[in-house]
Amino acid sequence: MNARGSVRLEGVVKRHGETTVLHGVDLEIHAGEFFVLLGPSGSGKTTTLRILAGLEPVSAGSVWLDGEDVTQAEPGARDVAMVFQSYALYPHMTVAENIGFPLKMMKRPAAEIAQAVRAAAARVSIDHLLARRPGQLSGGQQQRVALARAIVRQPCIFLLDEPLSNLDAKLRLETRLELRELQRDLGVTTVYVTHDQEEAMTLADRIAVFIEGRIVQVGTPREVFGRPAQASVAGFIGTPPMNLLPATWHHDAVTVEGSRHPVAASSPASRAVTLGIRPGDLRLQAQGLPAKVLYVEELGDHAILNVQTGPTRLKVKAAGLSPAKEGDTVHLGFAPEAVHLFDPAGGLRLA
Amino acid sequence: MKPMPRQVILGVVAGLIVSVWAFPVLWALLTSFKTERDVLAYPPVFVFTPTLANYREVLFGPASILPNLRSSLVVTCSATALTMAFAIPAAYALARLRYPFKRFSGFYVLVTQMLPPVGLVIPYYLALQRLGALDTYSGMITIYLTFSLPFAIWLMVSYFEDVPYEMEEAALLDHAGRWGALWHVVLPQVRGGIAVTTVFVFLNAWNEFMFAVVLGGNTVRPVTVGMFNFISVEQTQWAKVAAGAMVAMAPVILLGLLAQKHIVKGLTVGAVKGGGRR
Repeated sequence: MNARGSVRLEGVVKRHGETTVLHGVDLEIHAGEFFVLLGPSGSGKTTTLRILAGLEPVSAGSVWLDGEDVTQAEPGARDVAMVFQSYALYPHMTVAENIGFPLKMMKRPAAEIAQAVRAAAARVSIDHLLARRPGQLSGGQQQRVALARAIVRQPCIFLLDEPLSNLDAKLRLETRLELRELQRDLGVTTVYVTHDQEEAMTLADRIAVFIEGRIVQVGTPREVFGRPAQASVAGFIGTPPMNLLPATWHHDAVTVEGSRHPVAASSPASRAVTLGIRPGDLRLQAQGLPAKVLYVEELGDHAILNVQTGPTRLKVKAAGLSPAKEGDTVHLGFAPEAVHLFDPAGGLRLA
Repeated sequence: MKPMPRQVILGVVAGLIVSVWAFPVLWALLTSFKTERDVLAYPPVFVFTPTLANYREVLFGPASILPNLRSSLVVTCSATALTMAFAIPAAYALARLRYPFKRFSGFYVLVTQMLPPVGLVIPYYLALQRLGALDTYSGMITIYLTFSLPFAIWLMVSYFEDVPYEMEEAALLDHAGRWGALWHVVLPQVRGGIAVTTVFVFLNAWNEFMFAVVLGGNTVRPVTVGMFNFISVEQTQWAKVAAGAMVAMAPVILLGLLAQKHIVKGLTVGAVKGGGRR
C-alpha cells in the first residue's frame, strides 16, 4: 500500500490574468510522506494544493501522481481526498451521509458504505454523532467529519488546506497530535498547507517553504530550521523568528555596530552581510554587542527581551524569568557556530 | 413585559399596511356574497342576507368561468414548468461557470426584464399572427416564457451564488462529477429558492392580463380575461365579478400558504448569514 501516493510537480506555472501566482514550481513528494507546504498568505501554497487536487488548471507545467501524468485529469479521476479550510460539509446531509457520500458516488453497495462510515467515524471518535447534521456540531466535530469523509474511501493522497486554522488554540494542539498519529497509522501521503510554522515543524516529514510564488527551500524541519536557505526563510521560521541585522564579514569574524564577534566560516575579503541569529542563540554576557532593553515579555519558563542595537530591533530569548528589566543596557554575544550569514542583495545563504 | 415603543410603532405601521392591502380583497369578498341590488345600495350596506347565488352563477351558470380556469391552469402550469426547466440550469451557469460574454449575457437577461410589456404587445401580436399562433396555447405559453424566464433566471442566480463553491469542489473530489455535484449538493440547498421562484413565476403568469386579452381569443381565454363574462355594454354584474375574482384568487392563495415557510426563508437568504464565498 505504501508504494502508492507519490507526487511530482514539474515547472508548474499559474497565472490569473496579468498576475503570476506560481513561477515554475518543481516538487517531489515521496509515497507515505507527511509533506507540509508552508508560507505566508498569498505565497501560492494553497494554489499548489488546488492544482494537485485538480480544482485549478495549470498555466504551464505538469502534475504527476504515482508516475502518471494527471495534468488534465478531472478531480474525481485523481485518487485524492481533500479537507477544506471551511470543511465544506454538506449541510443538508447527516454526518453519516456526509462521510458516506464519496462511496455512494462510487456506487458501492449500501452495506459496505455503512460499515466503512462506522469505521471512519470511529477512527476520529465521532461515531456517536452519525445521525446529526453538520449545523448541530461544534467546529472541532465538524473538522472530524471532514477528516472522516476524506479517509473513508482510502485515497492514495490526502490534501489538507489549513485544517486547524478554525479551531481554538487548545483544540488545535490536541488535534495536531491526533492528525500526526492518524497519518502514521494510515501511511497515506499527506500534503498539508499551513502558514503556521509551528504546525509545519511538528507535523512534517519534510517542508517546502513558499515565498511569493516560489519554493525557496525544501527539507526536513531540522534542515529548514537549522540551515535556512534564504534570509526570507530564516525570518519566517522560528518562534520568535530569526533576528536579521546588517554586519560586515572579514576573515573569521563579523562586526556589528562596532562590536566584533568570531564566526565559524571565513571570508578572504571584507564584505557586507546580513547576520542571522536565533533569539535563543543570543546570550547576555559581560561585554559584547550593547543593546537597550525596550520591553520584556515574561512567559514563565522563558522570557523574550525586545532590545535595540543601533537602528535594529532584536528579540532575545532567555531561559527562566527575565534577567534584565526595561531600560537596562545589556551586552549580547553568541557562539560562532550559531551564526547564519546571508547575502544582503539576494538574501541567499553564504554560511 | 412592557412592549418597546419601537415595537408599538412597528405594529401600528404594519397594521396600516395590512389594512390598506387587505381592504379591496375584503370588500370583494363581501361583495361576492351580496345580491346585485345590495351591491349598488348607497350608502353601502354591511348587514345583508348573504347569498351563494353569485358563486353558483359564476361556476355553473351559462357564463361559467370554469373553462377560463382550465385555460389559466394550462397556460400557467406549462409556462411555470418550462420556465423552471430552463431557468435552473441557466442560472447555475450564470452563477458558476466562466465563459465568454458572461457579463453581457447576464446584463441582457436583466434588460429584457426592463422593457415595458405594453411596448411588446403589438410586435408579439404581429409575430404570432404571422406564425398562425394567435389564440393557441403554444403561442401564449411562448409569450409568457419571454417575461417569466428572465425573471426566474435572475432570481435563481442569487440562490446559486449563496451556495459556497468549496462545497461543490468537495463533491467533485468525492467523485460526484459536475452533474452529481449539482444534483446531490447544490440543488438540495437551493430548494427554498426553487420553491420561491416557482411561486412567483406561477403568480405572474396566473395574474397576467394584457397579453392574455390581446393575444388570446375564444380558445385561450384565461380567468383574468374571463371576468369579462360578467361585464357587458348594458351593465356590469359586480357581485358576480367579485365572486369570479374570489374563485380565481383561490389557487394562488392556496399556493402562497403552502409555500409560505419557504418564501419567508427565501426572501431573507443572505440577510442573516455572513458571506458564503471567499
